[in-house]
Amino acid sequence: MDNIPDPPFSLEGPAFAQRVREAEEVTQTLQNNQWNFAASPKIFAIEAGCDVIAKEMVFIHNGHMQTRIGRLVMAGVGSFFNLMGPESARSQFKMVSSHILDEINRQIGSKGLYDFQEFQKYTPFQEVDFLSPSIFYQLRDLVFYGALYGGGLFPSGFENFSRSIAAGKIIHNVVFVPPMPSSDPGRPVSMMATPLSVQVPTPVVEWMEKPIYGGIVKETLHIINLLTLEPTRISHPFLPFVGEGRIVYGHQRYYLRRFVGISPKEGLRGPGVPSERASQKDESSQGGATT
Amino acid sequence: MNSLAYTGEVEPFVFDMHIRGEIPSLLGGSLIVPTNRRNKDRRVFSRWHDSQTDLMRFDLYPGRPGKIRVHVLAVDPSGADLEDGFRRGEFETRAYGQLSAYGYATQPNHGINIAGNTVWTTNLLFGAPLEVDLPTWKPRRILRYVELHELAPRVSGTSHFAWSLDHRYAYFHQSLLQCESPGSAVRAADIRLIEMDVQSRTERVWQLLPPAEDDALETANFHSGFYFEEAGKHYVGLLRTGALLESLAPHSAPIDHTVMPMPPSTIWVVELDREKSILQAELLPGIRELDGLALSHLDVDSSSGDGFILYANFKEADVAEETHGVNIYGEEPEEVAEHYSGMIVEALNYGMVIRYERRGGQISLRTFKRPYVPGMTSLGHSWLPINIMLDPAKRRLFCTFSGFRPRLLPRHIAEAYSNRLVDPTTIRYVPPLLMRFDASTLEPEYDQKRGHLSYSEPVAMTIAGDGKTDYVCTFSPELGLRIYLADDLNRMICQAESPDLLHWQDSHFRPEPAHMQFVHR
Repeated sequence: MDNIPDPPFSLEGPAFAQRVREAEEVTQTLQNNQWNFAASPKIFAIEAGCDVIAKEMVFIHNGHMQTRIGRLVMAGVGSFFNLMGPESARSQFKMVSSHILDEINRQIGSKGLYDFQEFQKYTPFQEVDFLSPSIFYQLRDLVFYGALYGGGLFPSGFENFSRSIAAGKIIHNVVFVPPMPSSDPGRPVSMMATPLSVQVPTPVVEWMEKPIYGGIVKETLHIINLLTLEPTRISHPFLPFVGEGRIVYGHQRYYLRRFVGISPKEGLRGPGVPSERASQKDESSQGGATT
Repeated sequence: MNSLAYTGEVEPFVFDMHIRGEIPSLLGGSLIVPTNRRNKDRRVFSRWHDSQTDLMRFDLYPGRPGKIRVHVLAVDPSGADLEDGFRRGEFETRAYGQLSAYGYATQPNHGINIAGNTVWTTNLLFGAPLEVDLPTWKPRRILRYVELHELAPRVSGTSHFAWSLDHRYAYFHQSLLQCESPGSAVRAADIRLIEMDVQSRTERVWQLLPPAEDDALETANFHSGFYFEEAGKHYVGLLRTGALLESLAPHSAPIDHTVMPMPPSTIWVVELDREKSILQAELLPGIRELDGLALSHLDVDSSSGDGFILYANFKEADVAEETHGVNIYGEEPEEVAEHYSGMIVEALNYGMVIRYERRGGQISLRTFKRPYVPGMTSLGHSWLPINIMLDPAKRRLFCTFSGFRPRLLPRHIAEAYSNRLVDPTTIRYVPPLLMRFDASTLEPEYDQKRGHLSYSEPVAMTIAGDGKTDYVCTFSPELGLRIYLADDLNRMICQAESPDLLHWQDSHFRPEPAHMQFVHR
């Protein structure tokens, strides 16, 4: 693994202070240049990065609160990754067990993501935890973090987050580190993370936006379960509806609607076409995934 | 035929949106958005023009957060539900559901034209306008001025009407479309120009003759019109988009086929003369020479009563085609997850916005054309321009651009335009964009904090305000309704959403619509 750079979290003391000063310079330069990445090409992510391969999720909606619990499987090339996504400013985040997802599968007789034939090629997985959660409230927070930790950004992804911030959302970020990383773009490692729960008060079901292409996997395998206290006809915008029924979880009966399918990521490009970059290729950055 | 996705469901569908932020008092009124349905099954071929229409009316009640109630009207494409509002002849009654070249009487999933309490919605190419009563949100009649028959079984018309300066008269064209024959494409026939008096509800119909130097009836279709006066005379300008259809009917199987390339667009100008029954169109000079494809949308300032300033956009896309088949990278549709057979076509290259001013016999022309440069995103781009709209004071121009999804450009379309095609090996995804221009210079209103543009924005856009305080509204089912301060596109003041926008039952989703319009209560 000699060719895999150390995670920047290894810095401390004066070296870290120096990195902070450099990151602030990059941020200031970009801000003074209308966030045009050409002004500071170091901020571009390198081509290979990380993508979400599959999502198995449950949306529990009780009429005024939505709790989203997701088991994510990612593929990545590199030693550490960021997972970023726009969320409501009222969201509460916590790591949870996969019990509810397993229980739904048990009650309806499903093997979950393993029901996808396409999923088999990504096994086996390295188990990862989401670490060092952070929240970005404004564009300069996002850029500063990218410059400081080498998270890297693509302009189209940056613009997407920019709209979320304008809408009053926050950008939630977590880090994950594979125990056995890969530096070979042809052989990304697969990682399965401990489920993350996001709870937000809202009277309507709020589906997630499509993830942005990070350079590894063009599509996302989805299993989405919607649990409600009352019957509903809400459907998913792009995933096929595969069935409905009732389940019991935690002494509560829920109506279940289940959607399963494959969806494209945003920002896809043709085969062999390089990622967005400045004229000078910067090798110090690592890519990230969006939720 | 996708038009038969209409199920006869007449029960109105009404729901409220969840709002974050506030609805300003100036936005007390309704937003009208024609949407359509698309099957979630990507293998189902469905031509985008023909997709079943769901007309949405968003009633906005100002406040913090205020209230938004959405009314959805599923349109009957046969017109059979209109009773006296549309008399189907023997041919149409027989052809509906049976003859794919006929299709439908109306499928108004694209354009919006409003006067008072009446809305006329239109397809982008086919079928006749549907008149809808705004307060009740019920269809009233279909506007039909030509007689269909076996050899000319479809209608084409102007999607975005021209309006007289006092907004009393609407102008639009309507023509028959004759079936293709071996060696020749679909042709327009019996081209009419209609003047509709929205006060007296009377209409005048002229026969329209093409300009001698632009008389190819295969490409005589007009997406938008504008009205102006000059030296005491009244004129209508028609943007000759130039869609060239190989076939009237949607494909029975989505196989690669030879594409006949569209010619550069032009603008026809017609002097209105109520004493005549036939009007001769002339070419507006300087437009054909721009060599742009698919001149489509416009806004106009003709308030001076002497000439006009026209703002219009060229899509640089073959709008007669639809997405299907192998893409420019040689990938089969099954390998491209974002591919929906029959969906909206991608551009061949970046498009163009123009400002054409004619006053006192003098003409001035400005253009804006720009690729997307990832390192310089503050400059904007002009990939697939859609909406173009002046603010109420006519000082600023707002445009939306749909961007580019390279894997969705079919190889068989690209091959017909090798001299115009972007380099597939270097082009990447280009994000959608909303941008504000100075209307007098057609330069983006650059601002250090990038308040002049917004990427990743839905293309359906409208502006409402009083000329002092203006708002920009954008909408897509997926991203919801967004309201920005027009002065600063970083300042979103409202965002509203509902899962009921996103889907129709369990089988269909609602793709992103092209247009929306605001009407005060």
